[in-house]
Amino acid sequence: MITRMNESLEFLRDKYGFPAGTVVAGSDYFCVETTSGTFPLLPHRVERRIIELKKMIDSATLEEVSTLRFAKFTAGGDLKKLLAAELDLAEYLADSPVVRIFAGGDGKKVCNCIVRFANGISASIECGINLPVNTKNVDRHEIIARRGVGCDRGVDTQVPQHSIYLWNTDGETTFTDVDTELFGLPDDAIWIVRAAYAVLKDASLPELWSAAARRSVKLADCALESISNNLPVNVEGGF
Amino acid sequence: MEPVKIAMMGMTHGHTRKYYQTLLENQKLDWVASCAQDEDAQKVYELYNTGVPCYPDPEKMIAEHPDIEAIVIASANDQHYKDMEFCAKRGIHILSMKIPSFDMDEYDAMIDMVDKAGIVCQIELEMHYNPVVKRLQKLISEGALGKLLSIQATNITLSPVWAFPWQGSPEASYGKRVPLSGDDHRFRGGALCDHPHIFDLIRWLTGSSFDSVFAQAAPNLRKELEVEDMVLAAGKMKDGTAFLFDPSWSRLEERLKVPGPGWERFPKRMEVNVTITGEKGMIQCDCFGPNVYHNGAPNDRYTVQYTYFDEWIGLIDEFVDCIRNHKQPKINLKWHRETIACMNACYESIKSGSTVKI
Repeated sequence: MITRMNESLEFLRDKYGFPAGTVVAGSDYFCVETTSGTFPLLPHRVERRIIELKKMIDSATLEEVSTLRFAKFTAGGDLKKLLAAELDLAEYLADSPVVRIFAGGDGKKVCNCIVRFANGISASIECGINLPVNTKNVDRHEIIARRGVGCDRGVDTQVPQHSIYLWNTDGETTFTDVDTELFGLPDDAIWIVRAAYAVLKDASLPELWSAAARRSVKLADCALESISNNLPVNVEGGF
Repeated sequence: MEPVKIAMMGMTHGHTRKYYQTLLENQKLDWVASCAQDEDAQKVYELYNTGVPCYPDPEKMIAEHPDIEAIVIASANDQHYKDMEFCAKRGIHILSMKIPSFDMDEYDAMIDMVDKAGIVCQIELEMHYNPVVKRLQKLISEGALGKLLSIQATNITLSPVWAFPWQGSPEASYGKRVPLSGDDHRFRGGALCDHPHIFDLIRWLTGSSFDSVFAQAAPNLRKELEVEDMVLAAGKMKDGTAFLFDPSWSRLEERLKVPGPGWERFPKRMEVNVTITGEKGMIQCDCFGPNVYHNGAPNDRYTVQYTYFDEWIGLIDEFVDCIRNHKQPKINLKWHRETIACMNACYESIKSGSTVKI
């Protein structure tokens, strides 16, 4: 898959002209390797639904955010990595560092957090990796503000919707394609390529994302620590 | 590859603004100039701060930029023949809006002038570059549904007439003033003229041609319009596939002069949904979904905020490829003729109250 991702990145580079780089696997996140170093990628930040949610806050479509309500469930995977990514997304959308985390769950398959940010915003984050094998991810990112609620899920829908539903002798199959230029790559791979594109194009991102990635992993550790102590963990002062 | 020096012209079409980002970002293009049809169009253009100069008339634009190789004709339908002629005479490649003309004699003259000039003329039918449509085409061509039996499609939107008044003018939109029927006070030129996509899409999905169509107009939602805003069409393709289309302006809008946030009253301002039944199964498809949703500013109404509009990227890529590599675009004037003929047949059916053979 990494070969296909790099071919796609090269395709974008040829079209839009930006410095060279190669997607490589990393311990916590995929990374992009360049002549000036290896930098972590935060693909969750470049998903188009997240870009639009961020835009809702930045353009004051939603005014005075109070609370974020996030959830993400996968079929297997690494709970800590899942938590780290959701915590990073929460800091990114809250535009403020986490100062306190309280978490519950077994810390292996499920973790539920209540988070406070330095600017006073709260967040709840539910994470789990216990969906049956071959089940598509289930997630939700809701932003509740004094003016307006924004969400990547429609009203009265508990689970993600899809662009295409196919019913035939193979049963029901769903498809959600959101990127014509990278059509054919799996969703996860598309966002990794788009994240690499963002880092290579914007000279300010490597440093910012490196710090955010390190921080997100430490925040995930704090959540797991909270589970073990059954106490909130203060993370004031950062890491 | 040398970037194609491109310009835009007219700037009164509803899709005008959708090109800006692609023209600016794509390294294979050099957007050198624009030319506005009138002062109002120029004022709206300036709101977007593209940094590309805008001229009041095409002659002046060409005088300042004699190296223009291609032009996006972003004007009202009744301006297209004149604009195409301007380009063809100078050997300038054309990206035409979705309706070149409803007058079939004029349409054939366009084909002739483009052929004689040896230029690329691509028709803007952006749904072809939509990733969901791409998946739909793939599934069908791979036989996921077997032989197709029926296609139902919506191409329903709000009405753009308040921002783009020519779309409410029978002459500017349809090309002339033709009553919908003998006992109807309305004229051709409304919602149907705005929505060729599903008529085109079915030809790609089935690989077949139109056989016959029946259409009817409903009472308008917007009583002050001279043109139809609610219309339904049903028919069959030559391979027997039945179709049912809704190309209406069935979503109400705020009457904004410049499209922007809060334009929609119904949460989703534009929908292209397709239901396809085949011998082996069925598909339901939302070409512009799922998205993100909010009830914030400016109107505190539940609103769909779209998450992707890739169409213009792929469309422009094909245009550049055709110019540089001397290819014929998928959607060219000759191909598109049958789609326009079917839309005209819908109007004939509304008039006669009967099925029309195509």
